[in-house]
Amino acid sequence: MRRSLIGRTWPNAIAVVLLVFFVFPVYWMISTSFKQDKDIISRTPVFLPLDATLDHFDKAVHADNFWTYVTNSLTVTVGAVLVSLVIATLASFAVARMKFRGRKAFVLVIMVAQMAPWEVMTIGVYMISRDNDLLNSIVPLTAFYMMMVLPFTIWTLRGFIAAVPKELEESAMVDGCTRTQAFLKVIFPLLAPGLMSTSLFGFVTAWNEFPLVLWLNKKPDSQTLPLWLSSFQTNFGTDWGATMAASTLFAVPILILFIFLQRKAVGGLTDGAVKG
Amino acid sequence: MAVHSDPVRTQSPGTGKAAVRTPGVIAGGGAGSAPRKTGRATGEPGFGARVAPYLLLLPATVVTIGLLGWPLLKTILLSFQNLNKRQFIQHLTEWNGFDNYKEQLTDSEFWTVTGRTVAFTAVNVLLIMLGGTLIGLLLNRLGKWMRLALSVALVLAWAMPVVAATTVYTWLFDQNFGVVNWFLDKLGWHSMAHFNWYSGEYSTFFVIVLLIVWMSIPFVAINMYAALTTIPKELYEAARMDGAGPVKTFTAVVFPSLKPFFLATTFLEIIWVFKAFTQVYLINHGGPDGLTRTLPVHAFLEGIGAQRFGAGSAIAVLTILMLAALMSYYFRIILKQEDEL
Amino acid sequence: MKRQLIAAVGVAAMVVGVAACGSDGKKDDAKSGSSSAAKNFDGKTLTVWLMDGSAPKGWEDSVKADFTAAYPGAKLDIQTQKWNGIGQKVTAALSEGSVDVLEIGNTQTAGYAATGGLLDITKDKADLGGADWAANLNESSIMDGKQYAAPWYFTNRVVTYNKDLWTKAGITTPPKTLDEFSADLDKVKAVPGVTDPLYMPGQEWYTYFGLLTSEGGKLAKKDGDKWVGGLSSPEAQKAFETFKKLQSHSATAPKDKDEATPQQKDVFAKGDIGAIIGLGWEVPKPEEMAADKIGYFPLPGATADKPSSVFLGGSNLAIAQQTKNPELAKGFLKIALSDKNEGLFAAAGSIPNKTSLNSKVAGDFAKAALPASANGAVTPNVATWSNVENEPNPVKDFLTAALTGDYAAAAKKADDEIAKRLNSKQ
Repeated sequence: MRRSLIGRTWPNAIAVVLLVFFVFPVYWMISTSFKQDKDIISRTPVFLPLDATLDHFDKAVHADNFWTYVTNSLTVTVGAVLVSLVIATLASFAVARMKFRGRKAFVLVIMVAQMAPWEVMTIGVYMISRDNDLLNSIVPLTAFYMMMVLPFTIWTLRGFIAAVPKELEESAMVDGCTRTQAFLKVIFPLLAPGLMSTSLFGFVTAWNEFPLVLWLNKKPDSQTLPLWLSSFQTNFGTDWGATMAASTLFAVPILILFIFLQRKAVGGLTDGAVKG
Repeated sequence: MAVHSDPVRTQSPGTGKAAVRTPGVIAGGGAGSAPRKTGRATGEPGFGARVAPYLLLLPATVVTIGLLGWPLLKTILLSFQNLNKRQFIQHLTEWNGFDNYKEQLTDSEFWTVTGRTVAFTAVNVLLIMLGGTLIGLLLNRLGKWMRLALSVALVLAWAMPVVAATTVYTWLFDQNFGVVNWFLDKLGWHSMAHFNWYSGEYSTFFVIVLLIVWMSIPFVAINMYAALTTIPKELYEAARMDGAGPVKTFTAVVFPSLKPFFLATTFLEIIWVFKAFTQVYLINHGGPDGLTRTLPVHAFLEGIGAQRFGAGSAIAVLTILMLAALMSYYFRIILKQEDEL
Repeated sequence: MKRQLIAAVGVAAMVVGVAACGSDGKKDDAKSGSSSAAKNFDGKTLTVWLMDGSAPKGWEDSVKADFTAAYPGAKLDIQTQKWNGIGQKVTAALSEGSVDVLEIGNTQTAGYAATGGLLDITKDKADLGGADWAANLNESSIMDGKQYAAPWYFTNRVVTYNKDLWTKAGITTPPKTLDEFSADLDKVKAVPGVTDPLYMPGQEWYTYFGLLTSEGGKLAKKDGDKWVGGLSSPEAQKAFETFKKLQSHSATAPKDKDEATPQQKDVFAKGDIGAIIGLGWEVPKPEEMAADKIGYFPLPGATADKPSSVFLGGSNLAIAQQTKNPELAKGFLKIALSDKNEGLFAAAGSIPNKTSLNSKVAGDFAKAALPASANGAVTPNVATWSNVENEPNPVKDFLTAALTGDYAAAAKKADDEIAKRLNSKQ
């Protein structure tokens, strides 16, 4: 169908405005991390750091234990996301596709679990961990992060599974697949976008978590990047340049993950089977 | 029994394209596996089929009880204790009955904060869902490159660490060094040159809401777009042939197809906004004068910041009860929807 | 750059009396000799928490060397703690016994002593060199007559000014009274290109605290067995009038922010600000403003005979009650507080715990800070004081409210809140 010139232009015009709106704060973070201190707080905004400096990055990367934090953060986050994906895929398939007693109760529990106020429950989690000798280890941390993202993962995957037309699965079964095979061959490939958005979400959540690791792990060898990110703040003010440089670096893995998933999942999705 | 290699028969003519694509998928990983039983979809389920759902739910149930149920129980127990620094450090348990709850429920500030939190949540969720949906629809309409560019912009916003985003917003709206005031001044609105955004309740909330909407929209928009791509094109065409305009197409095709998506996303956003802490706290620490305190900020300041952990736990329990009450209507819709499966 | 962060000041206050105890310059040589030699410390680890930016350059190495010499076989694990969430971390660490020795801000010490988390070291005071500690600096370490910590290092705020601008304004000598100071600020204001002659945000409560002390007022007083807030008193109002007058020289400084957001040193670095009232490390980096362009003088008093009082912040070192190595911990304290190591603080521009070491104090800032510290003041030394400093700090909110509205109402509200927090159950 042909659209008029205006009809074709306005979506792009709006898109450009939105693009600026969404990118500007991000740009501000990145450009600030390259600015000299005098340009960071400036009566006339410095939009382009012409006399750029790498001092802030230097400071951020050379903070104590930086690489230990990187390793720990990656381990904890990836571990939490993968485990939650496995557990959630199993559970969400049951909830989305099967009829059984207690299903509603389970759905209700998941909804309530989603509302858990983790920030304040941190005290309870800490006391349990302390009394059971689970402090200063990344395993309990991974487990709790997994739990933080699990309800969401089940919830979202369940939606994606429910959205796959039942007929596809049924026809596979008519053609001789078992339920398991039908799932693996028909539904699972179509879950790509669901797996993408949930793992991205899980990654962001676990990657950013601060209060729990603050309480649980007080030894540097079990601490994670959010503690590093906040380490440029003191009682006497914040080192903005270093904080912004650290934030920029901190966001990089999320972007890499997105680009990676974008190719694998969204690309597959656009000409995927569901689209019909 | 080998997996069929001929195209899957599809029930609806609308999914014709799927029929072309799926065989590859099926033949791909399945050769050699031997299904035990066919046509189980019809007829009485066997023992295995009856146990299957419980087996599938077992891991989720176990971890939820252990990693969430236990801490939650602990939090509830703590909420009936007088637990300050002293008791905490010396591992003392001082039960004090309903004192923590009485203290909160008879405190007028608690109720003010609660009411404010509900209104705050409503405004944010409304803006997020509206903005996210519109941007999702826009993404669906854009050309390949523009779509990619906007998606990347959205993901950048989403990937930005909350602390960094909040910090940047505080700067953008700074009284003396903020870009926003500078820009408004340049536009000719000179009275805004040194406007103090954090001096009033509503202007502070404006900044907080903008920040939260900014960082929440990408999630809704990207998912909305992903969900839109699952709607068969034929449905749009059918609507168009019936002479439906964009609004009608949305209400007749998009919304019904994506109803579960809207329900789920709204649900999540309500919870996330209700619980939003970092943004509200870091922008102005609940100020001016406590006028932008929401429940999580209140719980933090009274419970963790002041190290009165019993009181903090009580606020946490009240928060979850409050959320559950607010959500009860919503629970009913969801559970009803479950019946339709 | 570590010097920039020296000191855990943002907390704390103490009277530095003019005359402290005798200074017989006794050398205590860290090594506890025979008593430790007889014991075997192999495999023992002592965990010490210091705040980010506290120890001056070289201090840690010096202490480590002394410790290794005195306790061969024992390991000293000094962990530098970041500020964010420190209150929670300290509480957690004390509850689990994972720290042996820790730095605590002096206004926080009484609060932690009251929790039972700190070891009573009254008996060890003499061995640690306590006889020479300035009594007023030691005050915050004592609760109910028992010694729960050892005073470590202290500092206070002075006027930090831009020499170029002051010269351009034709000012040759630092002001001796507050009136002179105000007149000087007006002169600086007249210099072309000056944005504010003084940058002082409305919530800079440390300066208000000093002015309040000068007037003889207190933030809170004990009335019977209850605490009552002191902001409604005539002294507090008089101090506030002075504060308001000073703040009126700060047209662009926000009335509802403190000096940390944005950091006042960054604003000062712009070069168009006449002065700030700050700590030793609150100065621009040398590449932004050369050190010889920056001058210091204590905030003058109402009369020329003495400068205004100051909020004297600092840190103490305490031993955790649950420590498994009390002997090592005490040994560490003795080493850390030895004249040699304590002297490193003086050399780096902080005020040491013994007046005998004051002669070692070096640097323009410290030389201006030292006389003012003689008029230093304390926040009430009670277990519940740390509650008052919890966000939202009622003193800060009071300043904003009084600067923008009615004094009496603001003072009443803050007094109620201060009383509520001070009288709260432990």
